[in-house]
Amino acid sequence: MDLAALTECLTTASCIITQTTSGLIIGLLLFLVAAGLTLIFGVLKVVNFTHGSFYMLGAYFAYTVNGLTDSYVLAVLAAAVGVGLFALAFERFFISKVYASNVLMQLLVCYAFILILDDAVKIIWGPEFKSMGMPAAFQSPPLFIAGGIVPVFYLFLIGVTLAISLGLWLTITRTRFGTIVRAAAVNPSMVSALGINTGLVYGAVFALGGLLAGLAGGLAAPVRSLTSGMGFSILIESFIVTVIGGMGSIAGALLGAILIGLVRAFGSIGFPLFVEGLMFMLMAVILILKPSGLLGKEG
Amino acid sequence: MTAARPTFSRDLLIAGCALAVVLLLPMLWPSKALTDFVIRVSAFSLFATSLNLLVGYTGMVSFGHGMFFGFGAYCFGLSMQRLGVSIPVAIVITVLSTAALAAAVGAICIRLKDIYFAFITLAFQMLLYSLIIAWVPLTGGDQGLMGGIPRPEFLGVDLGLESHRYAFSVVLMVVGLLAMRHVVESPFGYTLRMIRDNPDRASFLGIHVFRAKLTAFIIAGVFAALGGMVMALFVSGAYPEFANWTMSGEGIFMVMLGGVSTFVGPTAGAVVLSLLNDVITRRTEHHGLFLGVVILVFALGLRKGVTDFIADWLRAQREARSSALTGDRT
Amino acid sequence: MARKRVHLDRRTVLKGAAAGAAATLFAPNIVTAQSKAIRVGMPTILSGRVAQLGTSSRNAVMMEVEKVNAAGGLAGRQIEMVVRDSKGAPQEAARVSRELVNSDGCEILLDAEASSGAFAVQEVAKDLGVLCIHTNSETSSLTADPKLRIPNAFRACRQGIHDSIAGGAYAAKIAEAKKLDKWATCSPDYAYGRDSTQLFMEYLKHFYPKAEVTTEAWPKLFQPDYTEVITKVIQAKPQGLYSCLWGGDLTSWIDQGNIYAMFTQMEVFAINMADYTALTAVKNLPKGIHSGNRYIKTFPNTPKNAAWAEDYRARFKEWPTNWSWENATGIHFLAAASKKANSADGKKIEEAMRGLKIDSPFGADGTITMRAEDQTIIGYAVGWGMTIPNEPYVPEVTAGDWKNILELEADWKKRSKYT
Repeated sequence: MDLAALTECLTTASCIITQTTSGLIIGLLLFLVAAGLTLIFGVLKVVNFTHGSFYMLGAYFAYTVNGLTDSYVLAVLAAAVGVGLFALAFERFFISKVYASNVLMQLLVCYAFILILDDAVKIIWGPEFKSMGMPAAFQSPPLFIAGGIVPVFYLFLIGVTLAISLGLWLTITRTRFGTIVRAAAVNPSMVSALGINTGLVYGAVFALGGLLAGLAGGLAAPVRSLTSGMGFSILIESFIVTVIGGMGSIAGALLGAILIGLVRAFGSIGFPLFVEGLMFMLMAVILILKPSGLLGKEG
Repeated sequence: MTAARPTFSRDLLIAGCALAVVLLLPMLWPSKALTDFVIRVSAFSLFATSLNLLVGYTGMVSFGHGMFFGFGAYCFGLSMQRLGVSIPVAIVITVLSTAALAAAVGAICIRLKDIYFAFITLAFQMLLYSLIIAWVPLTGGDQGLMGGIPRPEFLGVDLGLESHRYAFSVVLMVVGLLAMRHVVESPFGYTLRMIRDNPDRASFLGIHVFRAKLTAFIIAGVFAALGGMVMALFVSGAYPEFANWTMSGEGIFMVMLGGVSTFVGPTAGAVVLSLLNDVITRRTEHHGLFLGVVILVFALGLRKGVTDFIADWLRAQREARSSALTGDRT
Repeated sequence: MARKRVHLDRRTVLKGAAAGAAATLFAPNIVTAQSKAIRVGMPTILSGRVAQLGTSSRNAVMMEVEKVNAAGGLAGRQIEMVVRDSKGAPQEAARVSRELVNSDGCEILLDAEASSGAFAVQEVAKDLGVLCIHTNSETSSLTADPKLRIPNAFRACRQGIHDSIAGGAYAAKIAEAKKLDKWATCSPDYAYGRDSTQLFMEYLKHFYPKAEVTTEAWPKLFQPDYTEVITKVIQAKPQGLYSCLWGGDLTSWIDQGNIYAMFTQMEVFAINMADYTALTAVKNLPKGIHSGNRYIKTFPNTPKNAAWAEDYRARFKEWPTNWSWENATGIHFLAAASKKANSADGKKIEEAMRGLKIDSPFGADGTITMRAEDQTIIGYAVGWGMTIPNEPYVPEVTAGDWKNILELEADWKKRSKYT
């Protein structure tokens, strides 16, 4: 514990600015993964524990496409589309079979896929870790904003994430697809009574969730080392984020992600050895006070 | 048609026979790998069965049961290493402290329902895990309790000897299972089932649901800690992995694999999962792939635990017999 | 009726599979002493994030065992390796090691586990009394602490304290020249990270008393995002930075530090940089990171060392890692001790191994010694240098002074109450 350092940081403008920006960056990257997780739970009531593996697949797809085409844009697109399709197949052939079973069966299917995908990645890409490298466009010195340091690449990521969040929000609130999805989340039997194929809706939601995870993996690939098993720590963090924000609430996920980002940023100064513990503590406290999460609906 | 409620004396008899068979096993088949295997299964059996008290009997899906397994291992190991007490005293300390921990955690968690209960138990487990990792002077951090756990002789039992360790673990498992069996077959056990099936009705009938759930949570925690203790004795140490979420995950898988609807299901699951793990890791380094496929086949194909099939089959036999009997009469 | 038959079939299959599995697993103990081959069990990590530890360890072992066997094996008995995955979990390491000895008939354990697994294997070795050679755990206490040390276990790999003394001496010279007084550390939060960092700073101060640590950042092992620790370090504006991150964590950290231009703002000492896995993986390696030699084919700059690296590369299509040379050294010691004892018996090999000095491509002076008093190796190549992004990666390595290292190590042991 280092409370002196924390107070010192909280009284210095540059430290507050830098660590707050760090927190936002961490949070927004987390949000991209967590958004898919919370979307899937909101509609399907499935806690998709394979979400971290989707993220990993995204990173590897991006790595391969980047190596082939030398284009970061193509790499990210390939990651998003590739993982989206994979998620669709995963939903249609596996998860849809256990909707009727209890949550433990769903957990088992996800667990099986975590194991399988980690090994598959090891077989296909090898056991050694990979590094994709920074696209040339972003190899420029960081910007100094009001005494805080902000890398250009992270500015880009923040921009993309905000654009995606906006797009996601518009899709959910303004499109026919969004209306159906929201309806399916509340009353699936009514939706199917209206002649809408709920299976298709579920598949589409899962694909969208997977697409977001793949996108996150692809976008972050230049600054993350790629290994089999890399999805796991992401899974845990995005899981905390969604629980804190409220399972099923996308706005909640954004709030939760930023909260976790700030806890990490300032926790690493005040409690450098207990940052992870802090995150779980926050999760426990919020669950006790409001089991459905900050912005979750009481269910 | 209700089967006669099994009586405690019948359970005692079955337990006695099982104990005798398992104790004689090493003489019939002298293999150290077998004794090692049985010791590990003893630990997992206590752990998985105690988890099933919550999952199967009370309908409380806990994702954080590994917390008590890990806590038991550390508590026992630390008592032996730091306090230098005898093994029975260390067991008593472990049981009491686990009960206290479970009471405190349970009092907070039980207020939450369904999936939120699962999440908060997981949060508490990870909190304990983070504490174990961070509190290096006490726990040794990620390296675990190093230097071995002393095994002083007590009442003529020397756990340094493999044969004694074997017998001790097996006895502990059988006694633990018997005690849990007694719990689920007691009126309290039926209260738990009623809470699982219809908590509102139980509440109307004047059952203090919270108190009953908390009691179940504490009992389950204590037996999980006993499992952790057996594991700590086996590896002569305690590691943070014991308290990690993976341990809870394995426990859940054992319960599901073995079957939630029978009492011995989780034990069968512990045997099958350990066997699978050991066989697959011997054969291939891609065990994740193989274990994953096995789990998929189980979850999507079989959809039931191993003992569920046996129970179904027995029931079908019984029904066939009884219909044959009625057929005779008409 | 049809349904029931299906159930029965399934049950039969399950039963058959279980019986088959049990039969192979629990085969009663075989007496292997008379059999020709000698089995050596190798618990290691072949899955998860550090699978590379296991694969590169195994590669080196297979390569060396082949040579030993071609030369007649251990006192005439061919070595048969049994390699098994512990998944990096200590309780699995304990189980696998017991199984290797108890049911696979292994007479010797080559423990290629990372630290916590190594302590678990040590307990098994203590319990079963088999000869055990640790080849990957660099945690000093494993052999330095007499409470943990056992007569039948040896360490054939680096030891944290040696690296830290050499590193401290090297960094002090640069600190002196460049006036680096304010230091930060950024190491993974687990036993190895904490020990290595604390000792490095201790010896840096020993050689350059003006050095002072102003900030410490402790990311978690396998943390994906290092943003907050990077900005924390940059905030503190240190002149020197020490890190013992390794493998994929190190490369993530470098990629993320790069976009903050962290490496241009301070002099960075990353002990685990100079290993081919990290050097070849990072795409935009900043110039001028100081690193300890993990494994570099040009240090020691001898034909033997270069030839060994080329041989390895020819076989496995990649350069050896730090773990590779350590495991190769384990096999070298096993073979040499067996030759000296003229026996494949664990107890006799153990006797012969104490104090044994062997010729080795990885020795600072062409030899490595298994120190008798604490059964760990000394005299292996230790050095530090500045890394560049392409071959030879570390053009100039300053060798550590073993006389100095041993003196300070003895002093450290006294202070730690180990002697």
